[in-house]
Amino acid sequence: MAEPRRVAVTGLGVACAIGTDVESFRTSLFAGRGGIARLESLDTSEMKVGIGGEVDPEFVPAGLKRLRRRPTDRAVDLGIVTAAQALEDAGLIDGATPYEPQPVAVILGTAVGAAESNTTLQQRFAERGVRGLRPTSVPRVMDNAISGGISIHFRLTGANFVVISACTSATNAMGTAYRMVRHGYADTVLTGGADGFFDPFYYGVWNNLGVMSKNPDPARACRPFDAGRDGCVLGEGAGMLVFEPWERARGRGARIRGEILGYGESSDASHITSPSAGGQAVAMRAALASAGVEPADLGAVNAHGTATLANDVCESGSIRAVLGDAAEEAPVSANKSYFGHTLGASGAIESIAALLGIEQGRLPSNLNLENPDPECRVRLVGGVPEPLERPLVMKNSFGFGGSNGVLVLGPGG
Amino acid sequence: MDADGTADVLVRLRDVLRDSAVEEHDWDAVEAETPIESLGFDSLTILDVLYDVEEEFGIALDPKQVVKTRTVGEIITLLQQNGA
Repeated sequence: MAEPRRVAVTGLGVACAIGTDVESFRTSLFAGRGGIARLESLDTSEMKVGIGGEVDPEFVPAGLKRLRRRPTDRAVDLGIVTAAQALEDAGLIDGATPYEPQPVAVILGTAVGAAESNTTLQQRFAERGVRGLRPTSVPRVMDNAISGGISIHFRLTGANFVVISACTSATNAMGTAYRMVRHGYADTVLTGGADGFFDPFYYGVWNNLGVMSKNPDPARACRPFDAGRDGCVLGEGAGMLVFEPWERARGRGARIRGEILGYGESSDASHITSPSAGGQAVAMRAALASAGVEPADLGAVNAHGTATLANDVCESGSIRAVLGDAAEEAPVSANKSYFGHTLGASGAIESIAALLGIEQGRLPSNLNLENPDPECRVRLVGGVPEPLERPLVMKNSFGFGGSNGVLVLGPGG
Repeated sequence: MDADGTADVLVRLRDVLRDSAVEEHDWDAVEAETPIESLGFDSLTILDVLYDVEEEFGIALDPKQVVKTRTVGEIITLLQQNGA
């Protein structure tokens, strides 16, 4: 078997409530500027909760216009426009069409897929029965519409598929992409995740699940690891990364923005929604072993940090169990306080935040962490950015279904 | 409006084509001579046009006839033959 290859990150693209490109995202993150607000795109008057992290409404229309595309579905459109950023950043495309075919794989995460199209279709079916279903409904609503649409638009001829594992989706996708590049199954992979679900059906089912914060002040609602937290806040968005072998990136003179050092995964095999510290710890240990690093090598942990009562206690317990005393030297960041829980995109957007932190040697503050929960016995980044003492970050993602995915991220060169 | 209503049908058909399309175009520049293929439609997505035509005009066109059309004007002719 061929020697495993180092995996470089050579392209980044991001859109969420605090930025619609890497630089605006970075600026907001290190300025402590959150983006959670009352929802503008959705009537929530009959719901208990009406806040979230929305992407600037100008972003998708402007991006589609540049790509000469009509709108199709919110998640697909967010994915395609953000993919263009990452592919351009990596130097794989230059402006809009025509694109030359190139053997790039597209391995993406999504939790709910083409939510907008699904909701539209359900409404039409309820109103008109089978006659309400337009002929192209199947390609519009299939969950791989995102990876397929990107592959077709940019003429990327490697494998394309989506990984669906709720809030772990993007991290599982990135882990799969990492292995494909590391072990020679692909030379270049566009990976990450996208989700857009601010529609009455999908926001409604989360509303009724009862895990969202009911804090009346949107800016203060998402409070990971704070004693006053009362639930998560949803956000829409997409994060895209280009992975390729380190030596190949060097050879073509690409800017290497970071490295994927390792990946681990596991299942709790216990409960469909309640997390298990034991299952999480298995994934973290596997990731560290895969990267060949010790807990004391880590400079920080980028937490899943949903701000639900259950997650944050469980996750801090699993971090403490895996890192031991080294947990005191690896401050925990929780980026969802800025842009909400972007579900199947969260692992990608937060990995980009971690890579930018490594690039800058700093960790962004944790918004709304005013009174750390004494049950969360980890060292948390406080209200101002902190220096990152060692340039290795462990990125956690955990999802309903008991799916755990963990990446170890390092500096570029 | 022209005597046979072709211009009016074209305006309505442009809206249908735009709403069914994946690719963006200068829709105001779409004329009767415009090839349908140049707007990015294929044998699958043209079925969406059929669907939206029925929504807009209340006319069910024969898919076998529609897939034979090559230009926007040929769809207009089919619509007019069916009462538009």
